[in-house]
Amino acid sequence: MTEVGARDAVVAADWRAAVREAAVALVELGVAGPDYPDACVKVVEQNGPYIVLTKGLALVHARPEDGGLGVGVAVTRLATPVEFGHRDNDPVDLLLAFCTPGPDAHVASLSRLARALSGGLADRLRAAADHDALAGELKGALPDA
Amino acid sequence: MALDRRLDVLAVCGVGMGSSLMLKMTAEDALSALGVDARVENTDVSTARGMTADVIIGQGMHTGEIADLAPIVITISDFLDKEGLEEQLRVALSEKGWLV
Repeated sequence: MTEVGARDAVVAADWRAAVREAAVALVELGVAGPDYPDACVKVVEQNGPYIVLTKGLALVHARPEDGGLGVGVAVTRLATPVEFGHRDNDPVDLLLAFCTPGPDAHVASLSRLARALSGGLADRLRAAADHDALAGELKGALPDA
Repeated sequence: MALDRRLDVLAVCGVGMGSSLMLKMTAEDALSALGVDARVENTDVSTARGMTADVIIGQGMHTGEIADLAPIVITISDFLDKEGLEEQLRVALSEKGWLV
């Protein structure tokens, strides 16, 4: 079971705020604990902006022990894009946050998400008319959700 | 000389759970398009330091640290660009004579 959430037109002053907002969506879904958003920021501080996977899109996450209670994926669309300091893929307007309670629980959902992204999911998320359409696109990409 | 066994490929990122898993999927698609029999694993950069592989794929900020672990190190900036990775793999594997 994968919980799916969406947040639209989120205002974030910088990448830290954007990452935090994206991860808060998982806390609101009840699949991540209260410390998870800050842990997601730390991952980028410690490892660099590699989570910006492709043009304009960041995959926000921390480790299971940072507060992953269940498997969840949430999309956050920013009102204004932010810079992560990534050489090729800035600026970022779309964030996909995920959490998982263990090292393997998320693999099926994330693999499906990868396939969907290869199939143009990011553009469909960008084109979604409103919050419900945004949530609907992500749910459609994760059929067990 | 052509490789007479399965190609061992390591996809790396900072945490080894999310981005590298996405990269593993992209690499599997690219290698299968090239007709290469490969096993792709994903891991974080510190675990990768204790491993060996034929090919390591990751972003520059990570592959720089582990460039001596594999005969082929491929640096990418887009984890989802299957065609771009396929081309990089084609060139690198051909140079080694591993692509038949």
